[in-house]
Amino acid sequence: MALVVGGLISLPLIVLLALGFRSDPRSIESPLLGLPAPSFELEDLEGRTVRLDELRGRPVVLNFWATWCQPCIVEHPVLIRTAERWAGRAHFFGVIYHDERSKIERFLRERGEWGPTLVDPGSDVAIRYGVYGAPETFILDGSGIVRHKVAGAMRPSELERLLAEVS
Amino acid sequence: MRPVIGAAGPLATALLAIGFVATLVGGPIMALQAELDPAELELLGAPAGAPLSGLELVTKTNEVAGLMRCPVCQGLSVADSPMDPAQAMKRKIERLLAAGYSEEQVLSFFETSYGEFIRLSPKPEGFNLVVWLLPLAMLALGIALVARRVRAAPQDAPSGEELAAYRERVRRELGS
Repeated sequence: MALVVGGLISLPLIVLLALGFRSDPRSIESPLLGLPAPSFELEDLEGRTVRLDELRGRPVVLNFWATWCQPCIVEHPVLIRTAERWAGRAHFFGVIYHDERSKIERFLRERGEWGPTLVDPGSDVAIRYGVYGAPETFILDGSGIVRHKVAGAMRPSELERLLAEVS
Repeated sequence: MRPVIGAAGPLATALLAIGFVATLVGGPIMALQAELDPAELELLGAPAGAPLSGLELVTKTNEVAGLMRCPVCQGLSVADSPMDPAQAMKRKIERLLAAGYSEEQVLSFFETSYGEFIRLSPKPEGFNLVVWLLPLAMLALGIALVARRVRAAPQDAPSGEELAAYRERVRRELGS
C-alpha cells in the first residue's frame, strides 16, 4: 500500500521534473512568432519618424538595447559588422530600452552606429513586443512577420544565419 | 394651448444635462483612448468596463499589477517591483483602466505580447489544471489516509480481557 501511495505521489513529480530539465527556464518563446509584427511609429535620435509599415520588402532587425546592459555592449560590434554586410538588403534599428538618451548618444559617438536608434517613450513598443530584458532582437521578414526572437547577445554567425533564413 | 417651449423645457434641460455629463466623462476617456496606438486600440477592442479614476483607479491598478509577473525580476509582481520595466507596465495598466478597459482585457493585452508567463497564476485550463488540481488531489489523499488510520484505530485497541491482564501484570510487577 505504502509503495502504491509513494509511487502515486512521486511519479507525477518525477515526470514534471524531467520535462522541466529538458527546457531552458530563461528562454520564453514569444507569442508573436509567425504573426504580423506590432506596428509602430517612433522618432530616431535625429528626429526622423520611422514607421514600421513603410519598411516592407526587406527583413527588419529590431534590437532593444541599453548602455547599462553588458551583453548589449558585447553585441554592439556584431551588429555593426552584420549591418555593414547586409547594407541595402535589410533594415537595422535599435530601440532604446529604459536608458537615458544622452548616455545612448555618447555611447554611439564613442563606439559607432549600426542603424537608426529609436526613442520609445513610455516603453510602449517594448511592451507591445513583450520584451523581457536587454538585449532582445526581433527579426521580421519582408512582409512584416515576426520570424525570430533572440534573447541575449547574438553571435555574428547566428545573426547572419537568421537573416539568411528570412531573406 | 400650452406653449410648446414649456413642454420641451424639462426634456431639453435633461438632454442638455446628459450632454454635459457625457462631455465631462466622455471627453477624458476619448483623450485617454487617443493616447493609445491605433494598433493597440484594434487589439483591445471596445472597453468592456467602466472608466476608473481617483482612488478606485489606484486600487485597481495595484490589483491588476499584482496579478502580473515583473518581466525582469525573480518571482516579483509588477505591483511589487521597483524596476523601470515594471513601472512602465504599471503606468500602461493605469492608462488602460482609466480608458475603461476591464481587468481581463488588460491581462489579455499583455498576454498577447508576453505570453501566458506574464500571469503570476496560470489560467485554470488545459495542462495548467495540474497545478490547480494536484494540491487538491494530494489533500484528498491525505484526508483519506488519516481517515483510514482513525477508522483502523479502534480495532487495534486492546480488549477488556487484555487490559485486565495487563493491569494485573503491572500490579504484580510493582509488588502491590
